[in-house]
Amino acid sequence: MSAEIEIRNVSKSFGSAKVLENLSLSIPGHEFVVFLGPSGCGKSTLLRMIAGLESVEDGEILINGERIDHLPPGQRGVAMVFQSYALYPHMTVRQNMTFGLENINVAKDVIDARVADAARMLEIGHLLDRKPGQLSGGQRQRVAIGRAVVKEPNAFLFDEPLSNLDAALRTRTRIELAQLHQRLRSTMIFVTHDQIEAMTLADRIVVMNNKKIEQIGAPMEIYDRPATRFVAGFVGTPQMNFLDVTAARPGALGLSVACGPKLSIDTAVAPDVAGEVASLGIRAEAVSLAAPGEGQADGVIDVLERLGDRSLAHVRLDDGQMVVANESGQTRLGVGARVALRFDGTKAHLFDGAGKAYHGREAAP
Amino acid sequence: MSSGLSNSRSFGDRVILALVIALSIVMLAPALWVIALSFKDNAELMANPNSVFHPPYIIQNYINIVGTSAVFRWILNSLIVSIGLTVGTLVLSSLAGYGFARLNFPGRDILFVVVLFGLAVPEQAVLVARHQIFSILKFHNTYQGIILPGLSSAFGVFLMTQYFRAIPKELDEAAMLDNASRFRVFWKVLLPLTLPAQATLGIFTFLGAWNDYFWPLISATKKEMFTLTVGMASTQTNFAQSEGIGYLMAQAVFAGAPIFIVYLFFQKYIVTAVSGAAVR
Ligand SMILES: Nc1ncnc2c1ncn2[C@@H]1O[C@H](COP(=O)(O)OP(=O)(O)OP(=O)(O)O)[C@@H](O)[C@H]1O
Ligand SMILES: [Mg+2]
Repeated sequence: MSAEIEIRNVSKSFGSAKVLENLSLSIPGHEFVVFLGPSGCGKSTLLRMIAGLESVEDGEILINGERIDHLPPGQRGVAMVFQSYALYPHMTVRQNMTFGLENINVAKDVIDARVADAARMLEIGHLLDRKPGQLSGGQRQRVAIGRAVVKEPNAFLFDEPLSNLDAALRTRTRIELAQLHQRLRSTMIFVTHDQIEAMTLADRIVVMNNKKIEQIGAPMEIYDRPATRFVAGFVGTPQMNFLDVTAARPGALGLSVACGPKLSIDTAVAPDVAGEVASLGIRAEAVSLAAPGEGQADGVIDVLERLGDRSLAHVRLDDGQMVVANESGQTRLGVGARVALRFDGTKAHLFDGAGKAYHGREAAP
Repeated sequence: MSSGLSNSRSFGDRVILALVIALSIVMLAPALWVIALSFKDNAELMANPNSVFHPPYIIQNYINIVGTSAVFRWILNSLIVSIGLTVGTLVLSSLAGYGFARLNFPGRDILFVVVLFGLAVPEQAVLVARHQIFSILKFHNTYQGIILPGLSSAFGVFLMTQYFRAIPKELDEAAMLDNASRFRVFWKVLLPLTLPAQATLGIFTFLGAWNDYFWPLISATKKEMFTLTVGMASTQTNFAQSEGIGYLMAQAVFAGAPIFIVYLFFQKYIVTAVSGAAVR
């Protein structure tokens, strides 16, 4: 009922354009994996290769130890939920759900039982005799999931299934998907470019960019110890602050770096990488506001985002660099106020010229 | 205020209604004329056509047709030809449309353009060659002889190709994941979605075939292979005028009946087909 999926050295091009390059990934059974990455990075392509909708030109895909990359889509034991849902418009909800089972000659009473189960679980029992055109977007979405569920697949593949829903419904469906996963315990692969979906749903996130996998890890691991500068910048809102490093030398905690002539930050990164360091990254929550002169650098608040429980201050430092700081609670400060910034260097990350990350000892899990 | 609005609207409605009635009378008059004439005695009509406006009305012309006319045979021929052509065109156009829209094969796009060129070739241009070929094949005076040329419907292939292309590929993919064979995807998922196009194409093909005169006139030279159009024309141009006008009109009523029945059954589709507003 639950598949281990193994992807070995898979590549893919469309014409002369390379889309995926030598990609390997192994997904244990029961896991909820999210492919996260910017638009066009090949997430859907990889998912469709697992489904059998795109050919695998190089490499292998195995499910439960057996090569399946030459099998037609229907024989791989996977079910897919499309972004557009792809419900059959001329069939009723019930027929949409039974079509796949009838094609493999499942006994009628088994089909009826499965449809009834799925309909109860997804609360679509009253919709069974309607056509997709008579359903709301959210209802169609449930039917699309129902069509996958009745097949009792080894693995569910979701390609941005929530992107056509409004914000409230998206949140609700996200929670329901998590519950569905807990109930069914099937392997699920979920494609999205929405990092909140990824963080909330995933057991593990596969961050993809530019034909490659940038990092594979649990959500908090990705957040706390991003493997590359790309991952650091892509995951987390507001985006991590990046500052160019002009000099680095051993300091009290680890490596002490200078970001411009006036700003120096003590990080917890081991000093032996001093030669490689090119930039520093630090999240807004590790930067706090202080009275002028009482921090590592002074500046002026340029933009203030009041989020209710906290505020994000976009501060222009005197040397021109922009840094976002997090102020919890409701700040009394306003745009134009002079402030100082305090950087918590233990939570800073350093990156080399190629984007590889170095983390401080403190940030270790 | 609201009553003023509804008054003006109902006034507009009444104008439109009056216009529709007037136009309907104009349209219907010839048909009513034909029907009325068909119930009059030939000799009486010969003497005075105005006799159509007063009795006696008789059904002798219809009795004569049942006894003597070849019109039943011609209706049968027309039905065989029209239905054969319609079914054939729908099958071929659907398959070709699916192929052009969904299959990848070398030369596909060029072949599609070649098919489209077919839209630009008038029948007259290929007539002599076709006549020769059909002579050699001994196809003249056979049903296949009348049906075959019409089966190569460039318009049908074009229409169905566009229609299949407009169906999202994800439906095919969902069906493939649902273990449907290629044929089952075509038959159970895609084809039902093209029904509006099938109806449009089917109706136009049927009406076109039923009313076609040119090719049947050339290919069908034996009286028993005449289609209705050819047969009716042959009676009307009969030099001796041995059949009276009432008799001719009774034939015309018979000839029109099948189309009328088709219309009754497919009214809804014909309206959408003609208005071009096929709703999916
Ligand atoms: N059938 C195709 N033919 C040619 N190029 C394609 C095809 N499908 C995808 N591509 C290209 O492959 C790249 C990856 O596409 P893919 O759909 O996998 O991106 P994605 O990560 O899913 O993006 P998004 O988040 O926008 O859905 C893109 O540059 C896209 O233009
Ligand atoms: Mg995509």
